[in-house]
Amino acid sequence: MSETPLIDGHNDLPWQLLSQFNNQLNKVDLNTLANTHTNIPKIKDGRLGAQFWAAYVPCDTQYKDAVRQTLEQIDVIHRMCQKYPEIFMFATSSQDILDAFKMNKTASLIGVEGGHSLDSSLGTLRTMYQLGVRYLTLTHSCNTPWVDNWLVDTGSEPSEHKGLSSFGKQVIAEMNRLGMLIDLAHVSEEVMNQVLTLSKAPVIFSHSSAYTICPHKRNVPDDVLRRVNETKGIVMVNFYNDYVTCSNTASLSDVADHFDHIKKVAGADIIGFGGDYDGVPRVPEGLEDVSKVPNLVAELLKRGWTDEEVKAALGNNLLRVMSEVEKVRNKCTHARTQIHTHTQIT
Amino acid sequence: MRVLRSDMSSWKRGKRASHSFWKQSIEALVVFSLCVKISGCSDVDELMSTYPLIDGHNDLALQLRIRHNNCLSQVDLHNLSKVSTDISRFKAGHVQTQMFAVYVLCGAQQKDAVRLTLEQIDVVRRMCTEYQEFELVTSVQELKDSKDNGKIACLISIEGGHSIDSSLPALRMFYQLGVRSMGLTHSCNTPWAESSSNFYPVYKRENNSLTSFGKVVVEEMNRLGMIVDLSHTSWNTSSAVLSHSKAPVIFSHSSSYSICNHSRNVPDNLLLELKKNQGLIMVNLHNTFVSCRDEANISHVADHFDYIRKLIGAESIGIGGDYEGATSFPHGLEDVSKYPALIQELLRRNWTENELAGVLRNNFLRVFEQVERVRDQLSSKLPSEVQIPFEEAHNPCRLILKRPDPRSPSSDQSSGAEEIAVEPHQSCAVLPSGRE
Repeated sequence: MSETPLIDGHNDLPWQLLSQFNNQLNKVDLNTLANTHTNIPKIKDGRLGAQFWAAYVPCDTQYKDAVRQTLEQIDVIHRMCQKYPEIFMFATSSQDILDAFKMNKTASLIGVEGGHSLDSSLGTLRTMYQLGVRYLTLTHSCNTPWVDNWLVDTGSEPSEHKGLSSFGKQVIAEMNRLGMLIDLAHVSEEVMNQVLTLSKAPVIFSHSSAYTICPHKRNVPDDVLRRVNETKGIVMVNFYNDYVTCSNTASLSDVADHFDHIKKVAGADIIGFGGDYDGVPRVPEGLEDVSKVPNLVAELLKRGWTDEEVKAALGNNLLRVMSEVEKVRNKCTHARTQIHTHTQIT
Repeated sequence: MRVLRSDMSSWKRGKRASHSFWKQSIEALVVFSLCVKISGCSDVDELMSTYPLIDGHNDLALQLRIRHNNCLSQVDLHNLSKVSTDISRFKAGHVQTQMFAVYVLCGAQQKDAVRLTLEQIDVVRRMCTEYQEFELVTSVQELKDSKDNGKIACLISIEGGHSIDSSLPALRMFYQLGVRSMGLTHSCNTPWAESSSNFYPVYKRENNSLTSFGKVVVEEMNRLGMIVDLSHTSWNTSSAVLSHSKAPVIFSHSSSYSICNHSRNVPDNLLLELKKNQGLIMVNLHNTFVSCRDEANISHVADHFDYIRKLIGAESIGIGGDYEGATSFPHGLEDVSKYPALIQELLRRNWTENELAGVLRNNFLRVFEQVERVRDQLSSKLPSEVQIPFEEAHNPCRLILKRPDPRSPSSDQSSGAEEIAVEPHQSCAVLPSGRE
């Protein structure tokens, strides 16, 4: 872990800052914050090299004030980095991640969790990119006017678009053009497959695990894992008990089983860490908070993972994906900006 | 020939392809040839070549929205029909910097103003990055450099505090997107400031033209280094802001109430307060605010300049044309190529070169520099975390979030949102075709 940064795909500390403290960061000390999975000492002990902090607002804000609330979450992430400049370095590129690692700081990136945050507006997508957002999870747990979420696969919600609508396809194209990572955690299986076909750049699952090990619709089935490998994307394993063992309890070993399975089915080049800390109520024994992640790394080595494979999972795979997404952006520089604005369906 | 040489030297410093350089030289020759028929014209062109205009307010972005739904691919900004602004006419008018207004209709307040604002910021950013004649600037230094590089600088200003939906984080994010000025209101009150217009019956208050939250907005703008713009605000709000702001403020497109008694114009007492504040009034050229009638001419406009100079000095004056934001402009000032005719008239009225250099650009630069200095002085101040009390925002599209119920079914992040009462069938989106 001293050679390669641990890059985690999803942490909801910003949501905790909102729901517990109303984003009053001036009144919070991240050095002593006690009742979260994440604080500064734990980050240091956990050797967290880079973190995508989730800018998440609940689905209830859709068709209301989702955009403003998302801006507020983006703002709190920026302010957190400004408040602790010796710990966090705000980052927007693969190079930034490497630079932060050299300075022994945690590179801090932003992922917006849920297409409802865009209010169906490409202008909003572009300005959020300008504010430093580098991935968009296409849905949280609600359909948007242009894409279906995972609940459709459980039967508890009807499919509205059979995957992506035609506007949804424009969103994908614009994300490729901008160089924004497409995150398929929380989407329906149909969306996973359509995006894997459509996208010109590799995609990510920022916090999802293996369906074969735990058949939860938030997880990724084997055929999709194979497609992720073909397209050189990444699946960043979620530690939430309910997605690890499909029950209320789990252990560190159960999480390692997901790593082993994905490596077996699709290779070590598509694996990453996406703990979902501070976004879930139950995490495994042995992985109680972000300081414990090195123990998982030790377990993988114990199970015969080579150094190269472990370094790939820690950070090299994500760095590869990000660089490739940046390359696709650079190739697209002369492409015409997508400008259509989707009229909201009321 | 002096005109031609000075025009050519300023263009030579720009990074232009030789083809467009020759094209511009020929254009300058044509302008000069026409000019020599009018006495004093070469003085104006020379003056404006040395001190090209910084204009405080232009609504081209609004026209792009209304006419083309922000589809820049449908237009060629070099030459546009049916509007008063395009690149060719900017050049003819010696406009070197334009503050482009990001405006969303007041009907979007309490609905999707924030999203619409992001879209307007996006179209200005795209316009200013896709055309090599433009350069998006966000500081005094960048503005000065753009002149040396032969570019037309774009500044972004927001027209109406309803765009921030009473959210300081939104204000900060707009600043990060390049917004460097914000008008506190358009023609509607916000929950924290008052408009000069009664058109919208919202957020009416007695004797509270700038609430405590409004003061915090001004303080945060000072801390960020965002220019406070008082055009469209009520006189009471303007007065309250002039007392509270640590930095100079502007009226980006307002004229003199004593010359034309329209409530959008600025009365003498406020001009005197503005003088103490070392701020700037950028004179609006729209007929209704110039002559208080449907028609006006250059002389009417010049009367505003003369009057304000006499009251508070030429160093307090700039120009905020309001092109594209209004439909009727004085004879001789129909579009952005015509600014030289105004300067010509002021020269004729014995304004000095120094005074006109101030009006054209130096006064604005001074104000913007001071705003940046205040920002630097406040650099140890933390970003404000003040939130507007919910009952003041009074917005049915605003959700209150509460802690998730620990007994609720498992998911990653239970929603934790409490929905406040919303009227049935109420939409939080403004109708796409709405315009004011």
